[in-house]
Amino acid sequence: MVALVIVSTFVVLVLGILVTGLLRSHADILRSLHELGVGVGDPAAAGPVAAPVTMVTPASSPALGAAPAIAGVTPTGDARAIAVDNSDDLTLLGFLSSGCTSCGAFWEALQDPGRLQLPERTRVVIVTKGPDREVPAEVGSRTTGRIPVVMSTDAWVDYQVPGSPFFVLVDGATGDKVGQGVASHVGQLAELVRRAEHDRGHAGDTRGRGEASLGGPAREAAADEVLAAAGILPGDPSLYPRTLDDVFPHGRAVPAE
Amino acid sequence: MATIGAHGITARLPAGFEGRIFVRPATVGVTYPVGQFATFPIPDDIGDFGSGAVTVMGPSDVFATLFEYGPESVGTALFARQGRPPALAQADFSPMVLRRGIPGQSGTQWFFTESGRPFSFYAVLGSHAQRPALVPRVNTLLSSLTLSPATADLPMARPQWN
Repeated sequence: MVALVIVSTFVVLVLGILVTGLLRSHADILRSLHELGVGVGDPAAAGPVAAPVTMVTPASSPALGAAPAIAGVTPTGDARAIAVDNSDDLTLLGFLSSGCTSCGAFWEALQDPGRLQLPERTRVVIVTKGPDREVPAEVGSRTTGRIPVVMSTDAWVDYQVPGSPFFVLVDGATGDKVGQGVASHVGQLAELVRRAEHDRGHAGDTRGRGEASLGGPAREAAADEVLAAAGILPGDPSLYPRTLDDVFPHGRAVPAE
Repeated sequence: MATIGAHGITARLPAGFEGRIFVRPATVGVTYPVGQFATFPIPDDIGDFGSGAVTVMGPSDVFATLFEYGPESVGTALFARQGRPPALAQADFSPMVLRRGIPGQSGTQWFFTESGRPFSFYAVLGSHAQRPALVPRVNTLLSSLTLSPATADLPMARPQWN
């Protein structure tokens, strides 16, 4: 009888030690997940200290590689392709899920760039997994139509997205990724984008988009080319009007009463 | 090279192009597929033929729209051409063809029937002066399109009121 009590006590002690170890391990895992922003409950409630930003920028990771184009469908079944290397702008890709609790704030903020206070000329695109992994209607219920939302599992594979929310920042001038990772707070994400924009410098618009893109000799040369293409060469009389009839050879329009 | 497809239109987009193929929600009547392709970021709220987009494109950019018309257009004189145009020439582009005249730009528009569906293809060059470099890009895009016959999920095949 005494031996049985001793053995039982020993077994209970061993089991107690095992359970304690498992509980500690479980607590460590939960703490780590919470710090990554994917823990149970609202990560925001933990305060900024408990939610470190892990997004890397060129300063910390010089070569993140080229960013591939994104092609997929929209929640309404249309087709959409986004090229991230066809402008001088930054493109912020937000890889989100419809069922991810910590994605909720980003769904709202990314579709309201004014609230996010991103640098000017930052294009925002939300990428979910394709219709094979997401329900289009659920994704559609979260979209406002203000920014492109593309459903593409291939894009998640191409960008090696570990989970949602995940963000990638692309420099359109080079087509390279200039930052990627997770951010558990909207404010942190905006700050990271601003930092990347600052790191990148203000190279200006080398593609000449917009109405004020050309100036000085370049503008003059472009005007000369267009005039020459229209058959108006240097010295053409139409370039030197003397009277209003020269400007309006077919008569002037009379405003309606 | 990205490939997108919807509503019986598939595009293997050349490098640097992005695009979308969509059907606008119909408030009245029936709407048909539209494909928009560009070498610059396409704004989300632009018109079918690029109003709102051509004003932000640069001189080295290209914008193109593939617009499908209703089945009543099949067999009409405007859509008598069978198949899309072959490779476009520089002379096919003119500043006078632009739907909205913007200094420096030029455009071209073609109406045709392919796979039993009536389309128009409208393309804008950011700079008429740069057409030697830009027209080949339009031709590459044009040749990348695959237009399938109308199927059950396409507007052409939907039941309609007489």
